[in-house]
Amino acid sequence: MTYELLEPIFIISTALIAIGLYGVMSKKNILKIILSLGLLDTGVNILIVAMGYIPGGTAPIENGNYSLYMDPVPQALVLTAIVIGVSVTALALAVAMGYYKKTGTIELDKEGVMKW
Amino acid sequence: MVSIPPVLLIAFPLFFAFLAPLINMVSKKAVKPYTLFVLLLNTLFASIIFLNVSSGGVIYEQLSGFYPPIGILLSVGYLGAILALLINLLSPIVYISYFGDAKNSVKFSMLYMLVTASSTGIVITGDLFNMFVFFEITAVGSYGLVASMRTKKAFEGAFKYIVLGSVGSAFILLGIATIYGYLKTLNFYDIALRISSMPPTARLMAFIFLIIGIGVEAEIFPLNGWVPDAYEGSSHRVASFLSLGPSKAGIYAIARLLFTLIPIMGGFELALLLGLLTLIIGELAALKQKEIKRMLAYSSIGQMGLILVAFSMDSRMAFVAAIFLMISHAMAKSLLFLGTRNYTVGSLKNPFVSVPIFIGVLSIIGMPPFPGFWGKWYLMVDMASQGFWTIILLVILAAIVEAVYYARFLFKGTGTEKSEGISKSEMTAIVILALLLVLVGLFPQYIYAPAVNAASSFLGGGP
Repeated sequence: MTYELLEPIFIISTALIAIGLYGVMSKKNILKIILSLGLLDTGVNILIVAMGYIPGGTAPIENGNYSLYMDPVPQALVLTAIVIGVSVTALALAVAMGYYKKTGTIELDKEGVMKW
Repeated sequence: MVSIPPVLLIAFPLFFAFLAPLINMVSKKAVKPYTLFVLLLNTLFASIIFLNVSSGGVIYEQLSGFYPPIGILLSVGYLGAILALLINLLSPIVYISYFGDAKNSVKFSMLYMLVTASSTGIVITGDLFNMFVFFEITAVGSYGLVASMRTKKAFEGAFKYIVLGSVGSAFILLGIATIYGYLKTLNFYDIALRISSMPPTARLMAFIFLIIGIGVEAEIFPLNGWVPDAYEGSSHRVASFLSLGPSKAGIYAIARLLFTLIPIMGGFELALLLGLLTLIIGELAALKQKEIKRMLAYSSIGQMGLILVAFSMDSRMAFVAAIFLMISHAMAKSLLFLGTRNYTVGSLKNPFVSVPIFIGVLSIIGMPPFPGFWGKWYLMVDMASQGFWTIILLVILAAIVEAVYYARFLFKGTGTEKSEGISKSEMTAIVILALLLVLVGLFPQYIYAPAVNAASSFLGGGP
């Protein structure tokens, strides 16, 4: 397997995951936290899609002209994960709206989400 | 004997949940009885499936027309059947407490059915990714339930829950990706068959990702910071429901991974460490709390840690102990959350409130003859026979701390609340829960037999 080809992808996705985790843990602003969650999700999704990559393969649609396909399972997983990610983001924004209406601010008090 | 396909346990409440708005359009009054009917129907299905599994062994059901390992497989094992029955038996009982409430929200009833269905899905699925999807449904439903009070604390708790839940789901996905990258399969039994071909470090990494991710729902350290805030912000009914459904499904998933995926290479030691940390931090934090719901929430964390400790002992007796602890926690904690809304020493005058609360507290701190006692007793016996004296000492210390703050709560009340009184329907619910605790405590043999089967099956790497 030519994983060397994929190395930039692994670096990018790991970096996205790291940035996302850092943002979630250190920020107090609700919108920044939600953005960080988006980055985290994107990083994980890119990583999973890259895992199913087969050099020279085409889209996993069987029509008899090609014999080498990408692994379809990671793509199906990521499709599900993207849908879940979008709905969770929408819900988080809705909760943020509610929080803003009650408190007039989008800053979490105390030390952010990691506080016990 | 009639046999029922396990998929109905998930499909029925899902279908009826999305039908609820239609019912609401026809008649607003019909929504509560309708939801109760659906939940009771599920209780019936779960009991029949439990009886089928105890007499005839594991039930497999293949979905979507593909054969496993490609198609999705449902597998109801002994532990799955016990937990499916536990969740589906208790959820209508807690729902009964909603009848006396002046509020009548169709959204609450929908989410309630949804979370019941998906928690049941987690315990009966045989596919890793399917489990992830059920986790997400459970999580999203619970976020909504927590936020449903619409107060500042509710939004704060729900937001924290959403953030940690999303981080957890990213970790679960990473774990799934690691396993899939090496084994090209997501079916639990296929994974268990071929796990030895995976490098030990990759296996441990996958397990760490998965236990951190699932630990969000299971209230296991390190991503359980949402628990006190979410429980404090949500209504007592939602707190009660969260402690019987999603948390039990979460700890089941951890046990499933522990025994099926990572049989060697430090998995049990890691789980033991996390369990002990969760237990000790949870109990110590509970001791400091002034507010009753926060105290119960931290106590929940401690209990879940203890259950994880029992699972990580990797022995039959401790496994049985874990099942008793789960039953005790699900019944007693949902009872306490429901019953203590306005608990002051003054409310002791009403025996229908005080007696159930006493029973719940006694079961949680492990007094005979309640299920919590059987759980702690079996665990102690097992750990003594294996010679883990340090862990026994830690568990006993945690139990003493637990006894101290529960005693303080019983004798002093909580003193901060305006007393609205407890409604008749809530009283009915807590009396039924207390009766169940007494029944399980007096006749542990009816749980013991299936629990031993579950232990033998799980320890062998089976369903």
